Amino acid sequence: MSAEQTRKLIVLAAIWAALLLAPYWMAPLGGYTALATRVLVLGLAAMSLNFLLGFTGVLSFGHAAYFGLGAYGAGLTLKFLAASTPLALIAGMLLGGVCGAILGTLIVRRRGVYFAMVTIAFGQVFYYIAFQWSSLTGGDDGLRGFSRQPIDFGLFKLDILSSANNFYYFVLFCFAVVVGAMGFILRSPFGRTMIAIRENERRSRFLGIPVERHIWIAFTLSCFFMGLAGGLYALVNNFADPRGLHYSQSGDFVMMAVMGGMRSFWGPLLGATVFVVLQDYLSSITVNWMSFVGLLFVLVVLFFPRGLLGFIQRSKA
Amino acid sequence: MTQLLLFNVTNGLIIGAFYVLMALGLSLILNLSNVINFAHGGFLVIGGYIAYTITPYIGFWGALLLAPPLTAILGLAVERVLIRPLYGRDPLYSLLLTFGLAFIIEDGTRFIWGPQGKPVTIPAFLAQPLSNELFFITGYRLFMVAVVMIAVALLFLLLRYTRLGVRIRAGTLDLETVAALGINVQMLRSLNFAVGIFLAGLSGVLAAGQLGLEPTMGTGLLMPSFIAIIVGGIGSLPGTLVGGLLIGVASGLTAVFLPAASEAVIYVLMAVVLLLRPRGLFGEEGMMS
Amino acid sequence: MNVLEIDNVTKRFGNLVAVRDVSLSVAKGELCAIIGPNGAGKTTFFNLISGFFPPTSGAITFDGRDITKLSTHERVTLGMARTFQITEIFPELTVFENVRIAAEVAGGYRLRPWMNRSETEKIHERVEETLKLVSLETKTDRLVGELAHGDQRAAEIAMALALKPHLLLLDEPTAGMGDQETYQITQLIRRLHRDSNYTIVLIEHDMRVVFHLADRICVLDQGRMLAQGTPKEIAANETVQAAYLGSAA
Repeated sequence: MSAEQTRKLIVLAAIWAALLLAPYWMAPLGGYTALATRVLVLGLAAMSLNFLLGFTGVLSFGHAAYFGLGAYGAGLTLKFLAASTPLALIAGMLLGGVCGAILGTLIVRRRGVYFAMVTIAFGQVFYYIAFQWSSLTGGDDGLRGFSRQPIDFGLFKLDILSSANNFYYFVLFCFAVVVGAMGFILRSPFGRTMIAIRENERRSRFLGIPVERHIWIAFTLSCFFMGLAGGLYALVNNFADPRGLHYSQSGDFVMMAVMGGMRSFWGPLLGATVFVVLQDYLSSITVNWMSFVGLLFVLVVLFFPRGLLGFIQRSKA
Repeated sequence: MTQLLLFNVTNGLIIGAFYVLMALGLSLILNLSNVINFAHGGFLVIGGYIAYTITPYIGFWGALLLAPPLTAILGLAVERVLIRPLYGRDPLYSLLLTFGLAFIIEDGTRFIWGPQGKPVTIPAFLAQPLSNELFFITGYRLFMVAVVMIAVALLFLLLRYTRLGVRIRAGTLDLETVAALGINVQMLRSLNFAVGIFLAGLSGVLAAGQLGLEPTMGTGLLMPSFIAIIVGGIGSLPGTLVGGLLIGVASGLTAVFLPAASEAVIYVLMAVVLLLRPRGLFGEEGMMS
Repeated sequence: MNVLEIDNVTKRFGNLVAVRDVSLSVAKGELCAIIGPNGAGKTTFFNLISGFFPPTSGAITFDGRDITKLSTHERVTLGMARTFQITEIFPELTVFENVRIAAEVAGGYRLRPWMNRSETEKIHERVEETLKLVSLETKTDRLVGELAHGDQRAAEIAMALALKPHLLLLDEPTAGMGDQETYQITQLIRRLHRDSNYTIVLIEHDMRVVFHLADRICVLDQGRMLAQGTPKEIAANETVQAAYLGSAA
């Protein structure tokens, strides 16, 4: 194994070690397990978005819609259909993914800022529906009245409702599965066409890649992942928020990806960690935390466009 | 029934006129500089608040004349400092920037003027309805439409006959060639942005008179502007005009039959247009990226 | 059967006629060079062949099949490969990765989440073979964006070759190159033509290259086909000389 490969393996091992031991090293730092769970879920969402943004080079600014759909899908399933966590998550994933697949057909005909505009507008449709259809969704107050159910493995039950740690590890498991799938796809021939499209769309077309179709596939896949992340998020607080569908939530996800480093696989997770911690801290010390978040956006864009990991990689070279 | 229909369609046209004003500013900036100005709603709010602040000194009419240019100057400063560095880069960055800017503006106005809504006084004669029959057309609403029509007419005159206007139009089609002709593209973009923000500021003054003022009002008006542009066709100002009126009227008409859906219908309209004619009603082929 | 048949093709952009009633036949294994003063319509003609936009009138046949209405990527799938005046490559990927993508797409693997060992090996072999053909086998792990201009062009040609094309379209392959690199690329194209029997159509401004390589030369001027023939015939042709000397080329 080359030095490069060994280095990568060590970094990977370090990341997973940190994730596996989070409940234990967070407490002394003033954190708590539920925070780690939240960061993990939002990090997953940011990574799902980055699957499209950083690796295919496609700017979707309405991606929170599929996240929100996942949350409502999971919540509604638990509330009205069945007291089963796995089913709720699958429902959330399907809702996000299928809507993404359908809308994707309309969206991929455009590119650049126009693509972004249309994704924002479509995202808002779902926000609006969640808000208005209050008999089903609880409207402005959000969806309540459900909770994550213990998972029955036949031989034993995993109580993820009352134990924060158990829930964290369950979420980590889901995270691992999705992240593993993402990594697998990115290393496949299809994944290479995604990167090709990002690197040079014209050349990709002139190699025989049907660009719109491949973008649609990447878009749909990322929406499925988003849906799952959304479902998990609903389980975090046993609550689904219409604001999770708003384009400002999309903006947050994009910022997490950019802040952590769009070109790196793990960047968005790092970005999510910094963003969530920062936002939590700011909102507890000042009522004008919104302008600070806005300021963060401005500063990152002007001075750190490559993000934290991009910054580190650069100083190495 | 006809009265109800008339009421709602007229309402729709009035709202539509308002969307047009917002959307035109947004469209100008989008077409020339490829920037989606998320902060456009924020500039609307600033325009309204500036008007509110200076009205006690120079009256309503003074505020109407002065607030938009003041807002435009602020816009100019913002463009120069924050947006200009981003022009060569991926449009993602200007999007994120204006996005963050919107937050700053919202919180900023809340900080300066307080979170409560502010009432705005308009001249008494405008607040009167036209007649008992047409009670729903207050003088102010007509006034708003009149101002919009004047502003739109002036905009089209500017674009058609002034040097700046011609350059903006040329730049929208082919910025590289315009630069090669020796025209200062930086300045062109700045001025174009200022014109767009002027329109936003004007919208703010008008909205304040109709809806009152509060820090969050900008975001609610941003989405319809987006949709007006998408429906009308990206890259086309006449399209934006038509788009704005169309969604206003659609919204008004729907309010007659299905009041709850009157907001949703503009999204449906957008989806239908995108399905049948992806480039929008007046959009040009190839305006894909 | 001719590889390429272009039948009275015209391309109009509004009132501007960029290409007017041009016909061309390219036989298998032939190298045809398209020359002409600036603005003659050469690039538009190329764009018509590669499917950038459809002709206003006329038909294009490729390997006996009417492709007039087909899109770019469909034509590529049928066996047409193209390089560009400004090299279109994947700058932040290595030479190997660049050619690999081409080979995988050509091999039908573009939608695959997975390739087994023998498939992967076959692709690797193909990439290595192609790189040897363009003399880049020593630079496989270099980032294409960091290579010298001539090597970048060679890499682009390698990508085109990895597609196993029936027709190679080269748009000004020696554009922006010094003498040494021009020589390098010309030799490469000559090898591809003489030794590997590729059918090639190229646009060129450098007459040394044209006369060195071409079986047949086509001269375009103001959208029309001015003359076609062997290098000797074209060199002696007075209308061609007038076109070049008469207009500020």
